[in-house]
Amino acid sequence: MRRYAAVLAAAALIMTTATPQIVHAGPAISSGSAQLNYKILPTVKAQVIPNYLSGFGPTGGLGSGATPTPGPSAVLNGGTVDFGNVVVGYQYLYKYAAQVKVQTNDTAGFVVYGEGATDLNGSNPVPLPATYPIFSTLFWLPSSATNSPFSPATSFNKTNGNPIGLNGVNGIDYSGVGGVPQAMSAVWSSPVAGNLVQGFDYELRLSGTIPPSQFNVYIVYTVIGN
Amino acid sequence: MRYRNLFGLLALATLAILTVVSQADALTGLKAYKEVVISIQVTPSPVPVGWLAPKKATLPDPFVRNVQIASSGSAWDVAPGAPVMIAQSSAQPTPVPVQFVAKPDPNAAFLRVIPHPPGAGFYSVPYGTTVIHCAFEIFTYYTNSYKLQDWGYGTTKTGGANSGTFPIENYPTVSDLSWAVPDFSPTFTPYWNQGPGGETTWVGAVKQSQQHCIDLTLVVPNSQPAGSFTATIQYNLYVTLP
Repeated sequence: MRRYAAVLAAAALIMTTATPQIVHAGPAISSGSAQLNYKILPTVKAQVIPNYLSGFGPTGGLGSGATPTPGPSAVLNGGTVDFGNVVVGYQYLYKYAAQVKVQTNDTAGFVVYGEGATDLNGSNPVPLPATYPIFSTLFWLPSSATNSPFSPATSFNKTNGNPIGLNGVNGIDYSGVGGVPQAMSAVWSSPVAGNLVQGFDYELRLSGTIPPSQFNVYIVYTVIGN
Repeated sequence: MRYRNLFGLLALATLAILTVVSQADALTGLKAYKEVVISIQVTPSPVPVGWLAPKKATLPDPFVRNVQIASSGSAWDVAPGAPVMIAQSSAQPTPVPVQFVAKPDPNAAFLRVIPHPPGAGFYSVPYGTTVIHCAFEIFTYYTNSYKLQDWGYGTTKTGGANSGTFPIENYPTVSDLSWAVPDFSPTFTPYWNQGPGGETTWVGAVKQSQQHCIDLTLVVPNSQPAGSFTATIQYNLYVTLP
């Protein structure tokens, strides 16, 4: 019994000497404020519908002596924005050319860019040179019932990215140019999240220098969250 | 004998009158017409609408200085205040194919517009007066004598969206856009904005081809809000009918 009490006393001594060493081994307690910035990774989805409303197609050509009608490749809710036959030197408006739908949870909103994957590619017959600048030839403006071929509009630009597929049929790769289109190619933006829709009309202003030919181009829309 | 002389004189007088009248009212017809579209961007006035009040004193900002709260070694894990790049989400839907078939202009031999668009595709103009030298050129030709006339499109006489507004406006308001043909005269004339009819730009003789620059002067009044506008001018080629 005396021996058992001696063991307990020794254990108690060890604890009383060892415990302060453990406490003093930790860092000094301090307090303060922290500013924490974080961002929930947003998602962005988008669709583009050509010829999105009944009544789509070209008007104008005032003075050309010909009334424009949609080309055979234009169909409701799809197909091609096909101006059909147009006359060099005159102006046209294509109503309900494209509708852009964006769905995003990005509370900072988004920016939509639209630009030509290439210049206008001539064929049948192939002109010389084979392309004609899209800039100052093909324009866009928000759809409105009051639009005319002479309404204020903004020119499409040729991309500085790399077209994917033949003439950009599969889009544009922006990885070599900073990952975003040119700022001047912005066509629409929103400061808020949501499911948003915007329709666009196109204008064609054919100067007297464009050669007679069939021209094609892909307009690529890119939506980027803010 | 007297009556015979009288009839002769009357016949001569009638012939002379018919000759004068037919020369004055030589029959003309509209051979071709074209629209010229000028895109304008009015930049906001540099004069501020208001002014910024000095910042009021508030409680001290606890985050005004960066405070190190954690470290691994001597360097920051994430440098405070430095921009943090987060991959932006993006989407690129299927491209929109656009096509058209450009047909030759049947009127190009008689009337052509040669545009000289600015690099930006539009004229960015401040408030006040801006002179645009050789904004575009016009070519005219015809086998008979002819005249070129111009008039501002989009007045209330022709209707359409935004008719009778800046810069063509509507009579009796004077157009804010004026023209001159420096080959003929340095004098600027406000564009006709009383509807079709217009004013003579130049005349041409039989088989005379000519091409001249059109200078423009645009006056943006202080009452005009900033924004994008277009001016549409119609050029008519009237030719003397054979």
